[in-house]
Amino acid sequence: MTIIRYDGSFEGFLCAAALTIDGAEPSGFLWGEGGDGGLFDQVVAVASDRDAALAFFEHIVREVSRDAFATARHAFHSEAAVVELLLWRYLRLGFRVGRRLEGMKADPLVQPVQQLARRVEREVHRFLGFVRFREVEWSGGATLFYAPIEPETDVLPFLAPHFADRLADRPWVIHDLRRGQALFCEGGRVKLLRGVELAGAPRSTKEEDVCAALWQGYFKRLAIEARRNPDLQRQLVPLRHRKHLTEFGDSSSGAATNEP
Amino acid sequence: MNDLPLDQRLEILADSAKYDVSCSSSGSSRKGTPGGLGSSASSGICHTWTADGRCISLFKILLTNACIYDCAYCINRRSNDIPRAALTPDEVVRLTADFYRRNYIEGLFLSTGVVRSPDHTMEQLIAVARRLREDERFNGYIHLKVVPGADPLLVEEVGRYADRVSVNIELPSRQSLYLLAPDKPRDAVIKPMRQLSGLIESAKEARSKSRKAPQFAPAGQSTQLIVGATPESDREIITLSEGLYQRLGMKRVYYSAFIPVASDYRLPALAGPPLLREHRLYQADWLLRFYGFSAHELLDECRPNLDQRFDPKTCWAMRHLHLFPVEVNRADYEVLLRVPGIGVRSAQRIVQARRHTRLGEAELKRLGVVLKRARWFLTAGGRSLAGKTLDEARLAEVLLAPNRQKARQAQLELFPASADSSAMTGEL
Repeated sequence: MTIIRYDGSFEGFLCAAALTIDGAEPSGFLWGEGGDGGLFDQVVAVASDRDAALAFFEHIVREVSRDAFATARHAFHSEAAVVELLLWRYLRLGFRVGRRLEGMKADPLVQPVQQLARRVEREVHRFLGFVRFREVEWSGGATLFYAPIEPETDVLPFLAPHFADRLADRPWVIHDLRRGQALFCEGGRVKLLRGVELAGAPRSTKEEDVCAALWQGYFKRLAIEARRNPDLQRQLVPLRHRKHLTEFGDSSSGAATNEP
Repeated sequence: MNDLPLDQRLEILADSAKYDVSCSSSGSSRKGTPGGLGSSASSGICHTWTADGRCISLFKILLTNACIYDCAYCINRRSNDIPRAALTPDEVVRLTADFYRRNYIEGLFLSTGVVRSPDHTMEQLIAVARRLREDERFNGYIHLKVVPGADPLLVEEVGRYADRVSVNIELPSRQSLYLLAPDKPRDAVIKPMRQLSGLIESAKEARSKSRKAPQFAPAGQSTQLIVGATPESDREIITLSEGLYQRLGMKRVYYSAFIPVASDYRLPALAGPPLLREHRLYQADWLLRFYGFSAHELLDECRPNLDQRFDPKTCWAMRHLHLFPVEVNRADYEVLLRVPGIGVRSAQRIVQARRHTRLGEAELKRLGVVLKRARWFLTAGGRSLAGKTLDEARLAEVLLAPNRQKARQAQLELFPASADSSAMTGEL
């Protein structure tokens, strides 16, 4: 039985899949500090290679479809357990049935992958709204727009194009605290950086505090008392997200927390 | 009026703006431009939800809550004793850009009380939008209110800067409008709607021929009406909406459960806003726009109001049991859409999946189709999914049974959570 060791990136996974998709199904995928599999497993290490990944991407688009690739890419970033194996089977089926793959929504090999992809798509969409930038002091008197997030899935790669297009005129950072990754954008160009940790808490500018207070006051007043429905609000803005949402911040003595 | 500090004026104006329910930022797609700020996403993006569970997508604000009119239902009516405030165009532009840059909002929804005259008021609104677009090169979403009675030339200008425009019809009938808003004749509301509809249509047509043709309110127009302040039936309301969708190409009609914001002998005394009625009207509205229903199928002379116990599709299906059950492997998409419990997404998934495999109960569950209600109206491979057929009375009992928890009734989800395919399913 073969276990594949790769670097944990989507690019790395594509390289691993490219090498093995015509052979026997691997018994598992490993990356990071994971163990070395069972006694009788043979561990094969696959190196990540940009060109190989790109070639396999084109192969999938040609032989299966662009939509199927997008589904696979989203599903991978769900970081669900054994997602690699699910994707491996999904892609192998794809090379057999071609364009039809995405329509086979009730198939036991297709459905779980599409479900994972949907989970990621939903969270990406949610974060297009939930990212909150703060203007903080940067080096040499310059300022930077900084947004910490703690998503369940690895949404950063999907947020990049949206915010790069939208906020190109000032430097900004979206920092995934859970994964120690960050998007850094300057002059309209975005980079995804790994292993990012803050040296200290970023200091807000004076304008930032004024602006956040205005927003909190506005937010609080916009609710209609006669329609009060905190349960519905909790369903739409789960508590775990509120830590990073300016309008739920505690800077105005809990005024914006919307507690009954 | 302007000597209060900004934070207080912002709060006063938020209080005055919040009864306009439109929040959508969908229907317009605009890329960022070098040196400009922002973009617009066609699906619309919700940024947060207030304590009443309503979404904030746009910075919804009034230029001023001072008003020369005295509409009985409106918090900003001239005779209402509330603090008045105004923002300068500069302040609105600044706040919009600051909020947008921090990703609090998708854009601006600007409305205002009427000061001096409709024309003067309209000019003020346009000036803000023009400054945002031309001076700030703002590519985010802008929704502008059109003031009834404004000059047609000004109406023509609005759509050059706004993604969406709206004129509120406010009340479902001419008589009610006359009674409660004597300063706003029905024609002053309908005329700009008609004009906008024509301008939107012709701009769309011009753009289908040339990409360079100027846009006019690419996200279309919407309107809003108040439910429960006047005696109109659901049938009158839904029939009116159908007309607005079909004849004026309206993108959305919003329904707003009446909340007494000013006491007036012309207004009814209600225990609370009729939220459930509002919810059922939205469901019926969805059936008009996305499910191929027409108003007369849902409501008629004998049934002028929606049944509050069931959603309107279930009601319709129970009155038409002879059309059911339908076979999930064969029924047309349009027929599937009429099955209670099956929405646009489920129907699409069924149609796609059955090209590749026969669907049984296990497959339907895997597709994420919720069978709680649908099982009474479906067969799969000729077999009833419910295992038996019931008459209307028994079925009503069965369908009502799980809903007996009273607590849930008070906490209806007025707006579904996910918005990613809102354009398709109409959520938001």
